[in-house]
Amino acid sequence: MKSSKNAMTRFAARQGLLLVLVCVLALEATSIVQYIFSYKILSQESNGRAQGQLEATALHITGVMDQVETAVKNNVWSVQQQISNVDSLEAISRRLVQLNPVICGSTVALVNKNVAPYCWDEGGEIKAGTLATEEYDYKHQEWFEKPLECGKGYWSEPYFDEGGGDMLMTTYSVPVADKKGKAIAVLTADVSLDWLTELVGSVKVYPSAFNMVVSREGQIMVCPIETLVMRKTVQELALATDDSSSVANINKNLSSGEFGSSTIRYKGEVFYMFFGPVSRTSWSLSLFVPEEEIYGEIHKLGQLVLMLQILSVILIILIIRSTVKNSRKLRIVSENKNRIEGELKVARGIQMSMVPKIFPPYPERSDVDMFATIVPAKEVGGDLYDFYIRDNRLFFCIGDVSGKGVPASLVMAVTRSMFRTVSGHENSPQRILTTINDSMSDMNESNMFVTMFCGVLDLSTGHLRYCNAGHNAPVVVKPDGAKAFLDVLPNLPLGVMPGMAFTEQEIDMEIGGGLFLYTDGINEAENINHECFGDSRLMDAIQAGLSAHDQVEAVTGKVRDFVADAPQSDDITVLYIRFMNENATKKTERHLILHNDIQQIPQLAEFVEAVAEMAHLDVGMTMSLNLALEEAVSNVIMYAYPQGSDGLVDIEAVITDDRLKFIISDSGQPFDPTAAPEADITLDVEDRPIGGLGIFLVRNIMDEVHYERADGKNLFTMIKKLA
Amino acid sequence: MEVNLIEKDNVITAQLVGRLDTAVSQEVANALQPMIDKAEKTLVLDCKELSYISSSGLRIFLTVRKAASAKGGKVIVRDINNEIRQVFMMTGFLNLFEIQESNN
Repeated sequence: MKSSKNAMTRFAARQGLLLVLVCVLALEATSIVQYIFSYKILSQESNGRAQGQLEATALHITGVMDQVETAVKNNVWSVQQQISNVDSLEAISRRLVQLNPVICGSTVALVNKNVAPYCWDEGGEIKAGTLATEEYDYKHQEWFEKPLECGKGYWSEPYFDEGGGDMLMTTYSVPVADKKGKAIAVLTADVSLDWLTELVGSVKVYPSAFNMVVSREGQIMVCPIETLVMRKTVQELALATDDSSSVANINKNLSSGEFGSSTIRYKGEVFYMFFGPVSRTSWSLSLFVPEEEIYGEIHKLGQLVLMLQILSVILIILIIRSTVKNSRKLRIVSENKNRIEGELKVARGIQMSMVPKIFPPYPERSDVDMFATIVPAKEVGGDLYDFYIRDNRLFFCIGDVSGKGVPASLVMAVTRSMFRTVSGHENSPQRILTTINDSMSDMNESNMFVTMFCGVLDLSTGHLRYCNAGHNAPVVVKPDGAKAFLDVLPNLPLGVMPGMAFTEQEIDMEIGGGLFLYTDGINEAENINHECFGDSRLMDAIQAGLSAHDQVEAVTGKVRDFVADAPQSDDITVLYIRFMNENATKKTERHLILHNDIQQIPQLAEFVEAVAEMAHLDVGMTMSLNLALEEAVSNVIMYAYPQGSDGLVDIEAVITDDRLKFIISDSGQPFDPTAAPEADITLDVEDRPIGGLGIFLVRNIMDEVHYERADGKNLFTMIKKLA
Repeated sequence: MEVNLIEKDNVITAQLVGRLDTAVSQEVANALQPMIDKAEKTLVLDCKELSYISSSGLRIFLTVRKAASAKGGKVIVRDINNEIRQVFMMTGFLNLFEIQESNN
């Protein structure tokens, strides 16, 4: 058992672990896929954006250059025409500078002569000078030699114009040929590259992105770090990056003349480098974007996702742990439940074995026919019935304990055993219930109560004494088919109030008549529409002439049909008793129980008068009987029990055709009233004792008087013969 | 049970109304005590309305009778019904008491 529990626990733990693992994997896989896709999208987007910017920038630069080239080329013809007029040449240069804001300087340098008039813009004013100085030696300058060499327009490497105010410049120069095609001059336009820095810096696809423009020779023309401009080549810069492979990359990329991207590391930071050519000048444009800027969001997202995942995993682990714990608890609960259910089953078995279940119970007797059944509800209930025969009297009871379950069944068991114990020496149902009530009320801490009907049927006469403690009124069935609820005083159920005085009633059962007892499981049985079986259906189901067995079957069958599929909520208990003694003595019995209180004497008078009426006695005889009974009973009331203690006096009257018998019994100290000396009624007033008349009157009124002590009781019997 | 004492011209009359059983006997004895105290007079026990008497009632009657005889008084029992008369007969009380019938 224990090892299997451990195995269960281990199994649950393993399952839990597996679950966590699967969850983690699923979460990871999802976020990885998501990450990859986001990365791709972002990378495509950044490529697009960067390339777009680069292309736009290149286009812009080309536009400016086109403008310059056109302006210059348009003046080539003028130079050819005016070649011999130096002043005119200067005018050409001046016009070029004047008309084109991008052109900040211009010269026409002749090949054969040392003539190079130069005009430049200095704060909006056009100034004129010459480059044909000895120290400058323009004929050996790049801008002069290269176009002549290649015979077409040439853009110079950018340079700092130290003479004209530290401007980054580039010069476009075209060769001018005469009609024979011989080079005669070079026409130039100096272009300040300030606008380039501005243009390139103004477009920002990412906040911290920066552009670099690199010349054909690798000279850095535009760069956010001013000190690098024109002082370092990109090769030198590349050497400063963190890994040497990126040097090669940058070189290769920038010289490829194509659009593309790659990554470089610089000062611990990773940059995305997007590059593209400005075809006309063989410059390279490049855009550097810190990786953080492109993928920063996705990195943040990734961190967030990771944190969420860690949280989820922790949560899952916690949930699984508590689930495992709960399942352990649940298992214990369900084990307990099974055990309790098993015990309840046993309890029900014990409970059922307490009530007589063998029918017919008295096969040897022909004076009584009875049958009983308990149809238990699913739960252990508190219904009970019991019966047995003592001194030719049938003692029986039917009861219903309030509530259900084990408490009810325990109270039921106690009640049933109390019934057996008390009725073992009590013939009066009132006394039986009073005693049970007192002991139940004393120990009734759980406030359970029992409704009970208790009866004692004299099988030789059919006389039934009964007492009802809050139970349903049984149905009296007459041999002729008449049926009616038995007249019962409600009284309180047992266990409600200690010291409660129950009232006994009596009736004579007819031969062939029956008494149908039941619990509220019958009349309160509900069908699925929550309708009750009710009293009228019960009455209809009862028929005279049926055997006890058939009658019980008929009623329970009807209830079963009525209830159909509705669940049975309460025990159904039925007890049917038929009085069948054909030779029953025709006699009437009446009983009265009094306390040892002299004030109860008037009740005795009523009782005697009722008995006298049943025996059809005249007023005189009634009073005599009254007198005799009062003497005998008041004697017991006053002397049988010690002063101040509570005691009872039983008075039983039996009327037969020829005589009337009273039996007065009590459990007090032994006392034989017949032993008192005979009163002398002939004495004078002075000599007559005050007392002693009681027993004298009894003897005189009654025909027979005798006393006996039996079972701890005084039994005083008085018989009056009837005429 | 009801007891009415009427004292008039040296005669004390006690009207006994109802049932004189053991339950009320002590009460009746107390009610009749003034009569017993003046037992030298003529004491009338008016039983016209007395329906029943038990031996404890008879004892009270006997007590009154004894007091009267001790003090020289006289006891008259008036108008007893047949049933009580029978009890008086049975117990020899008819010999101890002067029984009177009122005229109406």
